[in-house]
Amino acid sequence: MDSILEMYLYETNTLLEQLDSIALAAEQAGFFSQNDVDEIFRIMHTIKGSSAMMEFGTLMTVAHRIEDTFFLIREHSMDAVSESNKAELFDLMFQAIDFFRSEVAKLESDTPLSTDIDTFLLNINSLIAKITGDLNGTSGSAAPLVQDGSTGLTTDIPLSSSDEFPYALLVHFDEGSGMENLRAYMLVNSIGDFCVDSDFIYTPSELEGDSSAAEVIIEQGFLVQFRNAADRAAAIHAVTATGSVRTYEIADTALTTLPTSTYTARQEETDSYEETPATISENSGSAAPIAPASSGHTSGKESLISVSLGKLDQLMAVVGEIVITESMVTASPDLAGLKLDNFTKSARQLRKLTDELQDVSMSLRMVPLSGTFQKMNRIVRDMGKKLGKRVNLKLVGEDTEVDKTIVDAISDPIMHIVRNSMDHGIEVQEADRIAAGKNPVGEITLTARHTGSEVIIEVHDDGKGVDYDSVLNKAYRQGLASHDVEYSHKEILNFLLMPGFSTNNEVTEFSGRGVGMDVVKQNVDAVGGSISITSELGQGMTTALKIPLTMAIMDGMEVSVGDSIFTIPINNIRQSFKVAAGDIIYDPNRDEMIKCMDHFYPIIRLKNFYRLENGYDEINDGILIWVEDDEISYCLFVDELIGEHQIVVKPLPPYVNTFSIKNYGITGCTILGDGSISIILDVANLYSSV
Amino acid sequence: MIATEERLFGREDEMLSAVDSVPEIQMQQFLIFESDGLLYGADVEYVVEIITTHSVTHLPMVPDYVRGIINLRGQVIPIIDFRLRLGRPYREDACIIVLDVNGMQLGILVDDVAQMVAVPKTSLLPAHDHSAQKLISGMCSLADGSTMLLLDCVLLVES
Repeated sequence: MDSILEMYLYETNTLLEQLDSIALAAEQAGFFSQNDVDEIFRIMHTIKGSSAMMEFGTLMTVAHRIEDTFFLIREHSMDAVSESNKAELFDLMFQAIDFFRSEVAKLESDTPLSTDIDTFLLNINSLIAKITGDLNGTSGSAAPLVQDGSTGLTTDIPLSSSDEFPYALLVHFDEGSGMENLRAYMLVNSIGDFCVDSDFIYTPSELEGDSSAAEVIIEQGFLVQFRNAADRAAAIHAVTATGSVRTYEIADTALTTLPTSTYTARQEETDSYEETPATISENSGSAAPIAPASSGHTSGKESLISVSLGKLDQLMAVVGEIVITESMVTASPDLAGLKLDNFTKSARQLRKLTDELQDVSMSLRMVPLSGTFQKMNRIVRDMGKKLGKRVNLKLVGEDTEVDKTIVDAISDPIMHIVRNSMDHGIEVQEADRIAAGKNPVGEITLTARHTGSEVIIEVHDDGKGVDYDSVLNKAYRQGLASHDVEYSHKEILNFLLMPGFSTNNEVTEFSGRGVGMDVVKQNVDAVGGSISITSELGQGMTTALKIPLTMAIMDGMEVSVGDSIFTIPINNIRQSFKVAAGDIIYDPNRDEMIKCMDHFYPIIRLKNFYRLENGYDEINDGILIWVEDDEISYCLFVDELIGEHQIVVKPLPPYVNTFSIKNYGITGCTILGDGSISIILDVANLYSSV
Repeated sequence: MIATEERLFGREDEMLSAVDSVPEIQMQQFLIFESDGLLYGADVEYVVEIITTHSVTHLPMVPDYVRGIINLRGQVIPIIDFRLRLGRPYREDACIIVLDVNGMQLGILVDDVAQMVAVPKTSLLPAHDHSAQKLISGMCSLADGSTMLLLDCVLLVES
């Protein structure tokens, strides 16, 4: 795939995601705010432009028509659109997003684009016609609204500002720096020194003696506008030379009236349309206000680039080698016995920098799960509409970071599970929910959290739970279960994960094809994870995915036993302490135990357990680490604690895994700062294998 | 047809002048290494690199021939001791040949790496069926008269 196309796909996908979240939020709120409209307009414009450049005619046409639709809305405010058309508008938005998504997917898979967009365009056109009808009908009432808005504060900025001063700079001062208006005033002076024709305007314009300007600057930032780009470039120098400047961003044309509108908007927050004098509405599209939120958004997006995973792997490899080489240089035997003060100093600095480099390069691959989770909003929304169920989606721990490859592997499974919950879990009749004493609106909760060695993702619904009898009957019919065997609830739940099993008698659009759950199981297995279902009749069911933290970063405690180094996940450690030989209690098998906090815990000596050659035998030489995982709690005896580190978990090579050392509590390994390898212990597995 | 005939008649010669390859004859390249006094050949296709002195992290609960794992530029690679794998006595000081067999990487500790040779495929003879060394897939005589045992890298990685 050539790079331009790749760029296009990436950009379009990002924009569509943005669009999706805007549309979802807007639907919840019941209308598109002015910011939303502007943002959608901008996104559609970008898609239109780039599609035209790539010669994807159909995409361009659709984007163009939607742009038109929102142009209309932008011109006349959302209030002018009638309720029924609003609903249609939201649906159209989602249709459009789906259309773009499917087309982009076709581009990705190299299949030809669909050429039949006529019906879709017809839909858009009819909606445009309807909205235009609305507008004509309500224009009488809409006009006073705009007039009301105009009674707010006025500013000194000429209305044509965005045309004459198209190059803008938005400056934010340090939080709590104080006297922002005076700082801005000083900035204006120094910009005056830098700029050639010193012709520029700034907002807010009353800087001296107007303390309210300080508040505005704190809230909105300080906007400076220039006639030409050269002046702005010069001004950037002035800005960077000024103290207390937190950030500055380039905010061109579309954003220029931002502070103007929001400055005056404070009294008129509820009026969604033009707060500046009414004449501005003649001034067509370019003068539309955009709230700070969207300007922040724009600048945030621009600071992102996409990098292929292959390059990141390469970077990791090189960084790894640098780290090793560095320790080879600094610990070189040639240096032994030499007193090299400067060398040592520089070497220490180098060590610090390489450590940092390693940390940064390791964190590059980590992405939060929020992207995957957010997508579920859309699924819940769509299915809720189709199935007539009202369901809220709750996200917990969406900022949990996992390796990019894992995110890719689990997004489909999560989708299937959420669909299942929507389809089979949540009751069809709200009356049933009320009768069961539950909130009529269903709730699906997506939770992500790190434990010591795994990421646990849970999908919980508060629906009717699994009907064991019907699952079992189904299993009989499918020939998966035998009548001669008594099945426990847990075993019955496991039928759900078998290939070809589907509880819904009818095949619906979303689920019920019987491919869902076993595909989920396959995908999760593929990344070495496990899946478990728990259910309580009438209370809902929970599907938990446990994914090993391969490549995930976590905090670990390094401990040594002889010359081996092991890492124990910090989350598993409760306490570490020294004990005297007399504190040890023996059971009849001569197994050792220790009493802490009124409980007895067994002691496992890592040296004996792993049959290591070296390591302390005397209990008072080493140290006990009290570890726990879920129900299991015991003490590990090791030689020494080395220290706490952030580590990147790497899977053990497949060759080694064939010896099933996983069962002995070895889950993975990590590469330490000096290039050596430490073995990561799985506290629970270790205990169960004793 | 001609090529086949040449191969039929030229076999004796080729074995002696294996290195200066005759274009018509399909050659296979091997890396020859020494372990416990014997010469083994690993198909060059599988050889990634040869490294010396790398600190090996011991892994508990594995057979003794698995010496542990190493960090090779951020990749974690298991190391097996070739002597111990073949049931020979342990010896210090060795170098590691890193193999990549269908994406699975594995380092083998050997006594010494000798050289690379190219031998015609036709000169490769099957190993005895009752050979104790299951990892040996064939044998081949070299130009200097010594005998090379062909290491079955795939079997080594998969077993």
